[in-house]
This record gives sequence, structure tokens and C-alpha cells, in this order.
Amino acid sequence: MVVTWRAAVLAAAGAVPLALWPVPGTVLVWAVVTALVCAVDVAMAASPRRVAVERRVPPSVRLTEASTSTLVLENLGRRTVRGVVRDAWVPSAGAHANRHRLDLPPGEARRVVTRLEPVRRGDRHADRVTVRTLGPLRVAGRQASLDVPGRLRVLPEFASRKHLPSRLARLRELDGRAAVQVRGEGTEFDSLREYVVGDDVRSIDWRATARRNDVVVRTWRPERDRRVLVVIDTGRTAAVRAGDGQRIDASIEAALLLGALAGRAGDRVGLLAFDRGARARVAGASGSRLLPALAEATAGVDARLVETDWPGLAAAVTERLSQRALVVLLTAIDPAAAEAGLLRVVRGLAARHTVVVAAVQDPEAAALEAARATSSDVYDAAAAARAELERDATAALLRREGAEVVDALPDDLAPRLADEYLALKAAGRL
Amino acid sequence: MSAVVTTGGAVRVVGDGTTARSRGARRWRRARGPLAVLLVVVVLTALVVLLPAPRSLEPYSLDSAEPDGLHAVASILEDQGVRIRSEDSLGAAVRAAKAGSTLVVAPGDLWDADAVAAVAAVPADLVLLEPSSELLDAATDGRVSTTYGWGGSALRDAGCDDPDATAAGRVPFSGAGLNSASPDVTLCFSASGEGASYAVDATDGRTVRVAADALFMTNGELGENGSAALALRMLGHTEDVVWYVPEPFLTYGGGVNDDPGPGILPPAFWPAMLLGLLVVLVLALWRGRRLGRVVTEDLPVVVRPTETTLGRARLYRRAGARGHAAAGLRARSATRLAARLGLPRSAGAAPVVDAVSRASGRPGTEIEDLLYGPPPADDAALLALARRLDLLESEVHPL
Repeated sequence: MVVTWRAAVLAAAGAVPLALWPVPGTVLVWAVVTALVCAVDVAMAASPRRVAVERRVPPSVRLTEASTSTLVLENLGRRTVRGVVRDAWVPSAGAHANRHRLDLPPGEARRVVTRLEPVRRGDRHADRVTVRTLGPLRVAGRQASLDVPGRLRVLPEFASRKHLPSRLARLRELDGRAAVQVRGEGTEFDSLREYVVGDDVRSIDWRATARRNDVVVRTWRPERDRRVLVVIDTGRTAAVRAGDGQRIDASIEAALLLGALAGRAGDRVGLLAFDRGARARVAGASGSRLLPALAEATAGVDARLVETDWPGLAAAVTERLSQRALVVLLTAIDPAAAEAGLLRVVRGLAARHTVVVAAVQDPEAAALEAARATSSDVYDAAAAARAELERDATAALLRREGAEVVDALPDDLAPRLADEYLALKAAGRL
Repeated sequence: MSAVVTTGGAVRVVGDGTTARSRGARRWRRARGPLAVLLVVVVLTALVVLLPAPRSLEPYSLDSAEPDGLHAVASILEDQGVRIRSEDSLGAAVRAAKAGSTLVVAPGDLWDADAVAAVAAVPADLVLLEPSSELLDAATDGRVSTTYGWGGSALRDAGCDDPDATAAGRVPFSGAGLNSASPDVTLCFSASGEGASYAVDATDGRTVRVAADALFMTNGELGENGSAALALRMLGHTEDVVWYVPEPFLTYGGGVNDDPGPGILPPAFWPAMLLGLLVVLVLALWRGRRLGRVVTEDLPVVVRPTETTLGRARLYRRAGARGHAAAGLRARSATRLAARLGLPRSAGAAPVVDAVSRASGRPGTEIEDLLYGPPPADDAALLALARRLDLLESEVHPL
């Protein structure tokens, strides 16, 4: 049972009889009149429980893109439904204008559309649909909240995809397919062809040239069908704020860009998100199915406040890889975490695989280190300088264990990691 | 609730699975706790209203059964057919004290000039118990005055021809006495050297009886000697007795104006307030009912990145560890300069100083002092060192 502003106006209209008979009894009689009008209006309102509700939501949407939630409401009762319907979602689903007027004659159906502008990655769940029906006087009415399931999967933004075209162009250069007169870099023998002016003379195959009248050059192409395993550390260090989001958001951006690039380069890309156990994994997806699989898998991954189980992570990685591969660890360079097991894991993995440790730098540390306004700022700067020195030392230790280290600010991590991948590919180290 | 999965994969829901009966039961379950509390409050209020008021504990209060109360004398007088009306407000007491009745002013602080004048002007007989000198003066037109007395309680003989006093005989009195030069005033229970304890002034067509000490008529003393006789006789001359117990700090104006009279508010004011209450109630019902519940968000845990760094900075500051702080800044600057100048990470101090000196054009001793010098003496020196390091870094460019 609900009342509207009209009920308040009706109650205030009691001033007219009160002016004629200024005694307390007038007010009591008017209160009874108001209550009676409200009761009659409630009794004549349509039942909100005789409205069939159906919610239609697209399965997934990329973060920062808008989506819609559509409610189909059908009046199953004998009275016209007049009132309001609210399509409630969790706040991060961004359903701002979620209240809709409803005027639904018996037996008819209407569709109301709520715009969703999600602001968080992951599964955004719908809450109840509340139907409020008013009586013919619109003074009072009835209300019911119905559990109508709905879920919108919000995929990572993949803002780093703007870096993809330039990296793909570099990849095509490596592949020798670009329309330039340079020898395709690469290490895998591809084929022999006739020399044309501009080819690198070092690539002339003299033995083949001796067998024929023409000068023949060898062509190479980059290695293909290598395995790339991207491991995202979702432990406590991933929960640290970095820029607008958390470290894990930058890690996911980097993983998506690397996955897209490596997938186009013909490598087989896998993904593992791990803290005390596997949180998400992608294996065996290729071609056009790879990127959706990566986005789907990383959509629901959140940082958890637990210490990463490094031996367990090493075991999970080893289990997934039977042959030499590129293992990319997306984590943080934290002296404590390195001592806790990152170093040993890197040592173990680097013996069999190529290991890249990609870490997110803290933009706030740089600002802290540059502060010079007061003497207390200088102490902050000194502490930040110490922390940076320790990070550098840890990075040096990791390099000594045989890993490549990419240490970049959140926005730079994805392109820097892609560049590292291309460099490794060009050098034939995959 | 009926939920059917449609062809599109969406779920079609009708109703929320409740019936009018289940909703009623749920509302009852939810409401019965507050209702029970409300019921308890109503019952307690009713008990407080309906139960007899507790007896007063004030001295000289008519319904106090304590030794210093007056319940005994009041109940005996009522048994004898005297109607006693107790008034707390001076205005009401003065209005009730008509001719042919008795106004008893119990002991208390009554010295406001208006209040004293109002009491003195009543047409009724007056009985003044332990009056203030102002009241005594006004009520008897100055015929009776007080003298200072310091004697303890002692039995005193009536020693006069007032019938009430002689009937009582011996009554215990103490304290300050009464004095009079007027022949119309009868002074009784006099003691040598002190004034009388009881005076009767029967001029102006009404009788004013004054007791300088009212202790004799309290519950505790009433049974002693002639106390009861004196008390009952002096109070019981008329059938109507108005009993007034003065309140401290109460002025006559405040006492009389407690009846607001017609006032300046229009007659519709309080009904209009009632209507306002009704409107506010409906407004609260309108705004108070949400369109569905509040939806909560399970927020992610975001850790502040610089927390440990700031903690370390606070430790440095509190310990005054300028040496540590300066070493950190210097090492960081040296590392950056060395990297910029292409020196290996393992390079020692001498090559770094040499290279930086050449790149910046500054003397080597200054560079060495800056990068590897002694720790700064105070915070100002530390700040200066940090700024000089910044300046040096801005001057050095890759060769």
C-alpha cells in the first residue's frame, strides 16, 4: 500500500472545512475521510502481482559501452495497470533512469527500456523489478517487488586495443609480408626466391645460386605455433590502486593486447589467473574465438586479499606446458612478494621456458618522490626513493634469474609488453 | 511465483509467490514486536495515570505522612467536617479565599511584595505559620512584629485569655517570637526574655492568627501536650479552609497568570496544528515508501599503493633519520645519473663522480660532496640537499 502526493494534497484540503468549523473534531473527520479515499483507491488499483514481467539483457557488453535492459510487461488482470515500474540494478550497472511510467490496459503488453552504463568489470546483477499500481484517483495504490533474474557480463574495456594496429604492422614487417623491400626478419627458414634489388646480400643462398643461373635468396619468417601462457597474479598485490583502477585492470589490459597480438602472429595463447588457486583459465582457443574467450575469462576476475601461492602457481604452469613456451607473469615487483617465492618460481620456469615478468608501477610513488615543498615532503621522497631502489634491486635479481622484466606505469604496461613480445619474437627466443 | 523460461532465454515472472494470506502473516510477524512495545507503553502510562499520586514528602504538606508533614491534622479536620482545599498556586489560593473561610499560609518563602500584598488583602481569616516579617507586617498592618529568639524547644503556658490558647494549656514552642504594642492583639505562649509564640489579631473584621513556630502541629508533635487542641482550634474556625504552601522563588505575578485566559491565539490555532500533523503524516507516508529496496554494491577492496612508503617516511621523520633519508635520495640520484651517462650498474663512486663532473661542468669535489658527502645536520639541510640533487639531475644530459 502506497500513497502519492495527491493524498497529502487531499489531507491539506482539510483547511477548507476547518475554516468553516474550527474545532478539533473537523480534523478527525477529515483524517477519516482521507483514509477512506485512500482505502477505496487501493481497493480499486490493479494487482501488481497480475503483471507478467520478463527481463531481456544482452549477454555481455564491453566496459564503457552502453547497453540496455528491456522489460516486457503484460497485464494479466482485468483492470488497467496505471503506475510506475522500476528496473533495479546494482549501482555499478549504471541504470540511472530506471523508473518508467506504466499505462497498461488488460491483456496488453508493453516494453520499457532502461539504459545501462556499467562502470565496473564483471557480472553485474539485476535486482528486483518493482511494480507500483495506482487506483483511478491516483491517490493511493499497491506495490510489489518481483524477483526477475538478470545478469549483464561486463567485459574488460580493452582500451589498449588502440595500440594493436601499430604492433600488427610491426608483426607484418617481421613476417616479410609488408610491402617494403627489406628482408623479412625472422629465424625460421621459409622458402627461396629470386634476388631483387634491395634484398640484403647477406641472405643470398650461394649453394642454391650455384645450381641455377639466377641469384637466389633465402627468406625467413618468424616462428609460428609457439605457445604463449599469460599468467595473471590475482593476489593481494593486484588489489593495489594504480591510476583510475587497480593493478589487476592494467594486467588484464596487457594480457588482452598480448593475446590479440600473439593470436594474430599464429601462436597458441593460453591464460591463467591464479592466487591460491586458478581463478580463470583459457586454453585451446584460437583465431576469432581467442579474444572473446580471453575477455570472457578475465571479465569476472577480481583481486583478492590473499598471498599468492607461488609454488602452486609454478605447478599449475608446469602442468599446462609440455614444451618450451613464453610465460608472461603479470604481477607486481614487490620485494616482499619476490622473497615469498616469485624468485624461486622464475628460476624454475626460466630453466625450461622464456619468462617475462611484467609489473605495474605505482604512479603515486613518482609524485611522492618528486615532492620538495616541506621537510616532511623530503622524508616522503626519501622513503619513496628507497622503495624504488629496492624495486630496482628486485628487478635486477629477476633478470639474473633469467627473466625479462617489463616495469611500466599502468597505461604503458600493455604496449611495453607487446613490444617485448615482438622483440623476443624477432630474436627468435620463443 | 510462476517463472517460465521463454524461447529467448529470458525468464517470465508473474507475481512474487505471496498470497494475501502470506503477506498478512508476514506483516503481522513484522509488526508484532513494535506493537508489543507500544502496548507496554500504553499500559504503563495508564497505570501511572490511574494509580493514586504518591504522597508528598515536603514539610508542612497536607498529604505527607512523614514526621514533619501535616496529614494527621488535615485528616482530623476533615473528619470534623472542615473542607480543606489545597492550592499550589498563589492566584488560585487568593481567589478561593472568600469571606467566611480561612486561608492558611504554610511555612515557606513568601516575601515578594505583590504576593504579600495579595495575601494580606484577602477577605478571609488568615492563619500564618512561621510567616516572613514582610507578610506578618502586611497582614496585621504592623501591629505584630517579630523579635529574635534563640531558645530551644520548651513547653510554654498559654498565659493569655484567648480561648484556643487556654484550651490547649501547655504547648511546646521554640525560636523567634512575636511582639506587639497594640492592645487589639492577644499574645500567648510568651517566654521570659523572648516574644510570644502565638498571636491573634482580630481588628478589621477578620481574624489573623499567627504561629511563630508551626512544629507543634506536625504529625510528629501533634500528640504532645496541648498541641492537637491548639492546632485543631486555630485551623477549624470556619468550615472552608484554603491551604497554600508557598513555592520558593514564586512571585505573585507568576502565580496569578498561570491561567492564560482567552489569549491572543485564534480559536482555530490548535485544530490547524492538528491538521498540519495529519498532512505531515501523509507526507511522511508518501516519501517514506521506497519504490523497491535499496540495492547494495559489493565493492572491491582497493589497497592504497603508498601506504608502506608513507609509513616508512613517518618512521624516518620521527626518528630524525636524516642520514638514512639523505642516503636514499643520493643513491637514487646517483643510480639515475649513472644510467643516463651510460655507466654500468656496478660502477663505483669515483667513476660516477668523474662522469657527472664532466657532464655538468662542476668541480668534482662539489659532486662528491653532493652525492657521497656527510649526512645533513638538520631538516633544512636535508631539504636543501634534495633540491641541489634535483638541480644537478636537471643539468646532466646524456653525452
